[in-house]
Amino acid sequence: MLSYEYIKTGDLQEAFKLLESREHVYPLAGGTDLIVGMRGGKFVPELILDLKDIEEFKVLTEDNKGITIGALVTLNEICQFKPVVDNIPILAEGCHSVGSYMIRNRATIAGNICNASPAADTSAPLYCLDAVVNIIGSGGSRTVPVDEFFNGPGQNALNKGELVQSVTVLKPYPEGKGVYFKASRTGSVDLATVGVAVQSWGDRVKVAVGAVAPTPVRALSVENAVNEYGEKDWSKAAALVNNDISPITDLRGSREYRYHIVEVLVRRGLEQTMGV
Amino acid sequence: MSEKITISFTINGDKETREAAVGQTLLSFIRDELHLTGTKSGCEIGECGACTVLLNGKPVNSCLVLAVELDGKELVTIEALSKNGKLDKLQQTFIDHAAFQCGYCTPGMIISAKALLERKPNPSDEDINEALSGNLCRCGAYQEIRAAIKDAAKK
Repeated sequence: MLSYEYIKTGDLQEAFKLLESREHVYPLAGGTDLIVGMRGGKFVPELILDLKDIEEFKVLTEDNKGITIGALVTLNEICQFKPVVDNIPILAEGCHSVGSYMIRNRATIAGNICNASPAADTSAPLYCLDAVVNIIGSGGSRTVPVDEFFNGPGQNALNKGELVQSVTVLKPYPEGKGVYFKASRTGSVDLATVGVAVQSWGDRVKVAVGAVAPTPVRALSVENAVNEYGEKDWSKAAALVNNDISPITDLRGSREYRYHIVEVLVRRGLEQTMGV
Repeated sequence: MSEKITISFTINGDKETREAAVGQTLLSFIRDELHLTGTKSGCEIGECGACTVLLNGKPVNSCLVLAVELDGKELVTIEALSKNGKLDKLQQTFIDHAAFQCGYCTPGMIISAKALLERKPNPSDEDINEALSGNLCRCGAYQEIRAAIKDAAKK
């Protein structure tokens, strides 16, 4: 049996103190990555800090700023939240492709980005939507763009003593279609071999790709060709994604396979969002 | 030895107060402390769904929940389904359609299906695929499982 301390608190100030009280403190929201990581020996906590009583983290709202998703909101709740479905369905698609229905009843978007897997399914849609991460700690609050939140595999921008409070997708929402494609070995319960998000904003496009670099990345070469140089041949535009990525070979796919499939999915995404 | 915390919860309709070790998963607590062995242990990393239970009415992988997180919550396991020796309609239709071979995944399948029928009384194939996306059947009885769920929906 695993050995660690467990404390649940509903008080943010107490949570900050506890986060700094020991070297290896792991916050618990959904726990779907944490518990698997503990079992595999990847995470060895001295203290598990259960955040589920913190009211500030339970927010799920739309206001004049945009849509804000608290750290304790589950992926299934996001998939069913009408403002998400109506305005930014690409995020619902990303959330929906994580794990299985049961996993999504526990897993959170904050956990998905804090785990900072390059393959995180919510990340590529968040990159395309220019989402921001609201961070809170004993020193106050700060907000960082989601593409500055991912620092490398398993590395995020949180300092010791900080927590992700929520993620916000700011208005204006995109005018146009967005799609998220995930290539994986099985239909569910697998990480992405490659994840591709393509979101049209009128006649412009944003493209983000996952699992092909140390962090999710925007495919700026593709975006540039389409948005600045008016490239309409989606095959040519999609081929440029190779400039933006540095995939590796692992058990989910070879480097070469990733180069190939990411190009196919970007082309398909451009066709479906920008018209054939 | 792992620290213990006193937790209060409802299990299959009955209120209980027990001690739970902080290092224990809900799955282990259900099987080893509550001695309800209908909930099966499979992969223990949330991939197979054999350990599916209802936590506050929602299906979750009990291997990915800590036992101490049960405090204040309502837990339903497969043992709650049959009443006075009479099978739940899902249990009966699984038998009618032979929706299993070895049966190991069946408790998890039925718990996921029960939650599905509560939120969608007339599920489509797509609804069933979605709800059971985390329940693997290595005997490959998926067609029969889908038929059993649709049949139960009519009853």
